[in-house]
Amino acid sequence: MILLHRLASIVRWLVHRNGAEQDLDDELQAFVDMAAADNVRDGAAPVDARRIAVLDLGGVEQTKERVRSARYGAWLDEVARDVRYALRMCARSPSFSAIVVITLALGIGANTAIFSVINALMLRSLPVREPGQLVEPLFKYPRDPRLNSYSWKQYERFRDQNHVFSDLIAVSRDRFQVTGRTSGPEVVDGMYVSANFFDALALQPAVGRVIGPQENQIGSPSAAVAMISWSYWQSRFNLDPAVLGASLIVDDVPVTIVGVMPREFFGLLLGMDPALWMPVAIEPLVRKPSRLMNGSLGGAIVGRLKPGVTREQAQAEMRVLDRARLTELEARMHDVQWRGVTIDLEPAGAGLSVLRDRFATSLLLTMAVVGLLLLVACINVASMLLSRGLARRREMAVRVALGAGRFRIVRQMLTESLMLSMFAGVCGVALAYVGAHALVKIIASGRSPVGMPQPLQIPVHLDLHVLLFAAGAAVVTGVLFGSVPAWHAFVSAPSSSLREIGGTGETKPWRRFGQSLVVAQVALSVLLLSAAALFVRHLTDLRTVGLGFQTNSILQVTLDWSRSGYKPRQMGPLIRQVLDRLASMVGVRSATLAGMTPISGAAGSQFINVKGFTESPDDRRRVSLNTVAPRYFETLGTPLIAGRDFAPEDEGRPRVAIVNQAMARYYFGASSPLGREFTIEGQARPLQIVGVVGDAKYWDVHETPPRIIYMNAFQGSGLTNPIFVLRTDVPPMSLAANARRAVRDVLPNVPVARISTLAEQVDASILPERLIAMLSALFGALAAVLVAIGLYGLLAYTVTRRMKEIALRIAIGATSRDVIRMVLTSALGLVSAGLIVGVPIALWVKGYAASALAIVAATQVERPITLPVNPMAHVAIAVVAMLVVTLIASYVPARRATKVDPMVALRCE
Amino acid sequence: MEKLDIPQGTLDLMILTILAREPMHGYGISQRLAVLSRDHFHVNPGSLFPSLYRLEQDGKLKAEWRPTENNRRAKYYRLTASGRRQLEQHRERWNRVSFAVTSVLEGA
Repeated sequence: MILLHRLASIVRWLVHRNGAEQDLDDELQAFVDMAAADNVRDGAAPVDARRIAVLDLGGVEQTKERVRSARYGAWLDEVARDVRYALRMCARSPSFSAIVVITLALGIGANTAIFSVINALMLRSLPVREPGQLVEPLFKYPRDPRLNSYSWKQYERFRDQNHVFSDLIAVSRDRFQVTGRTSGPEVVDGMYVSANFFDALALQPAVGRVIGPQENQIGSPSAAVAMISWSYWQSRFNLDPAVLGASLIVDDVPVTIVGVMPREFFGLLLGMDPALWMPVAIEPLVRKPSRLMNGSLGGAIVGRLKPGVTREQAQAEMRVLDRARLTELEARMHDVQWRGVTIDLEPAGAGLSVLRDRFATSLLLTMAVVGLLLLVACINVASMLLSRGLARRREMAVRVALGAGRFRIVRQMLTESLMLSMFAGVCGVALAYVGAHALVKIIASGRSPVGMPQPLQIPVHLDLHVLLFAAGAAVVTGVLFGSVPAWHAFVSAPSSSLREIGGTGETKPWRRFGQSLVVAQVALSVLLLSAAALFVRHLTDLRTVGLGFQTNSILQVTLDWSRSGYKPRQMGPLIRQVLDRLASMVGVRSATLAGMTPISGAAGSQFINVKGFTESPDDRRRVSLNTVAPRYFETLGTPLIAGRDFAPEDEGRPRVAIVNQAMARYYFGASSPLGREFTIEGQARPLQIVGVVGDAKYWDVHETPPRIIYMNAFQGSGLTNPIFVLRTDVPPMSLAANARRAVRDVLPNVPVARISTLAEQVDASILPERLIAMLSALFGALAAVLVAIGLYGLLAYTVTRRMKEIALRIAIGATSRDVIRMVLTSALGLVSAGLIVGVPIALWVKGYAASALAIVAATQVERPITLPVNPMAHVAIAVVAMLVVTLIASYVPARRATKVDPMVALRCE
Repeated sequence: MEKLDIPQGTLDLMILTILAREPMHGYGISQRLAVLSRDHFHVNPGSLFPSLYRLEQDGKLKAEWRPTENNRRAKYYRLTASGRRQLEQHRERWNRVSFAVTSVLEGA
């Protein structure tokens, strides 16, 4: 009750401030009048009566002030006053304020941008009922990423046999050709869902109804229903509610739209926004033959733990239930590695783990980098404010003389700092908005994990969490850098007297402190720059070292044969014609065919049997396979070590193969593999080895080159949809138009599906590393700029302070070179101190950065190679960069120092 | 005669007591306080007005401008129901405190 009264009166006070002030004034006047009247009655002269009354009151203004400060909400007044004053101060030096705000906004913006992506991928809960209870079963086959992928049959088995989940749901992604009354045909992402999906997640439709248990009649026409996503509803139907009951043609089957998905729900799988949601029972209608019926339809499973069941208990039961599947896989695939596979249950309340697994480490690493950047920005601003605090000593002295307490002044300084950081926070959020979208674009440019759409759609919003983060960052930085000038004011306020400030006097400890702030910035920047150098170097190494093939000047062309009507038998000669045509183009050095090109995200593998070679079943590993045309190795730059390349003449002769050195070493040791034979598991006809080539990476750049067998594309069944691979003498993409024309000339009815370079393909596969290298280089550079600004500020100030000394020196014969040397010495002194602190830390952190990279690599392959790291080199790069920055920052102050006119400077005093 | 300091926390109680009899303006309250305390207490307006404003903000008092008997305008404070309750409570507590203190002093 009382609280309400107080609140109401605070509001009244804020709203009717002028009225209330007037009221108080009137009341005190009335008081004085009455007292004066009484004094007159007691015999005082009318003139004195009023004076006595005012004296008695103890001063009208003082009383008013006491009333004001006794009020509840008085602090609001004071804050408002502080803020007004702070605004005036900021406005008085707009360029200074702008630099501070920009510096901090960059730091806060970078942090908020990265955080918003982390928030979207790792923190934000799905908008479903009790997301905390959701878990997903993941298994891991050696060398593969963790998978949540089970056959639909297996899902039903889990669903019916478990005792630990209150609901077990499954979803399966597919792509559909959709034609609406006014739209399409177009190909969209869609999801099959189990009939209990919406019930289990308690999802409410935006309009219409959800898909329910009544739609579980497999293949029945009643299952031909769909929900559409909000964004699809918006883009294709203009949010028209009449969409309910409308019909879509999905892969030739009419499907009735029964509802629209909730606007904020994009599915369980982060990274996509499927347009269509349909019951899995529809699958036999739209797919012939049905993968659901023949057991090959896979899906991701999510379970809701029963109350009281822990994740560990559920995991134990799932492992038992999964036994049968693993045993069957081992038997069917003749692969003992399935024996070691177990299910882990992971929380799925923030969505399925695919993107988290791939990007979490790199995002956290980047977060650490931007955190450091913000710290540098903070120190930078602190040192700027400190030197301004020194310049404002006169103002402070005036305020102390006028009766301001030291706490009052400290509060004022802190208010100013917080105002600046709040401004910066607002600008930072704007920057983060732009930055986060750029970041998402970069992430989407990478290769999507298996089963995800390309490009990824990551819903990054500046939601409440992100805004709170930005506000938190702004307040923390404000307090951090604000405490320096505030402390300075606190310490120096009592001693501030106008007389003393007359000269340029300045306390030595504070000067030292200002210098140490620059030293700290240099140290942190060395850290950032050397980490950036390491990350960039690591990226170039990944792109080049030990690849075993060339990425530059390689163009790949794939065709879309699907609507051509050619039978595979007819395609062989046509493919040769296209190949000949492409090979004869100007600028093409060599051309070949390949079933797969390296680092494409997919590759074949098989078990093989080598005559005269035995190994224990446990050691049996698959061998990677590729089918290539003659001149493949020449085109990709993989060296032929022994034997011969494939030849067109091989066609129709016994099958031949070329193996790489890793394969030759493993199966044949020191003896020559040439002429030896092997069979591929499940095939009877042997292949004879005719050549050995150098090791080359195949699946992933992080791995050691696997054992590879190459087969001749012009033998056996050959290739049905090969990739045309061209080595060019000119920038590869410049040949794209010619290549299209060449294909059209030979095959007018077969469109080109895709033209890309091999370098692009490799880059798409190392997105996390590219992200880290790109961002750390960007932010490292930014930190260096901040250091330059900080150093420049300090040197400019030093030159001004030592103006008299410099003038004297020039007067007694110092040359400009001496003066420049003097300024440079003091600059280099500071930077060296920073380097002395920073370099050991950088060397120490290096180990962590390198192991972080190893972790990033491990998110992509099982046993990543370790590239050698030369820590000294990267630190050296950072040191050189810092020295260059020093020279740039000292240029202007040094020039100004040489321009000092002794007469003018000395007369000043 | 030397004035006494008003003991901590008793000013509100005395204001409420004075206003319990009839609504009164600030000057009137200070005069009445002097009379009732037989001139032992003299309340400084610098203390009186903050107290009045705070009691008003807490809803214990309600203020309105009214003409005085001498035909001036003054801001009159009167007790609200909640103020009356507070007066009861505080008076009761004060009685116990002063009884307790007196007992100690006389028993020693």
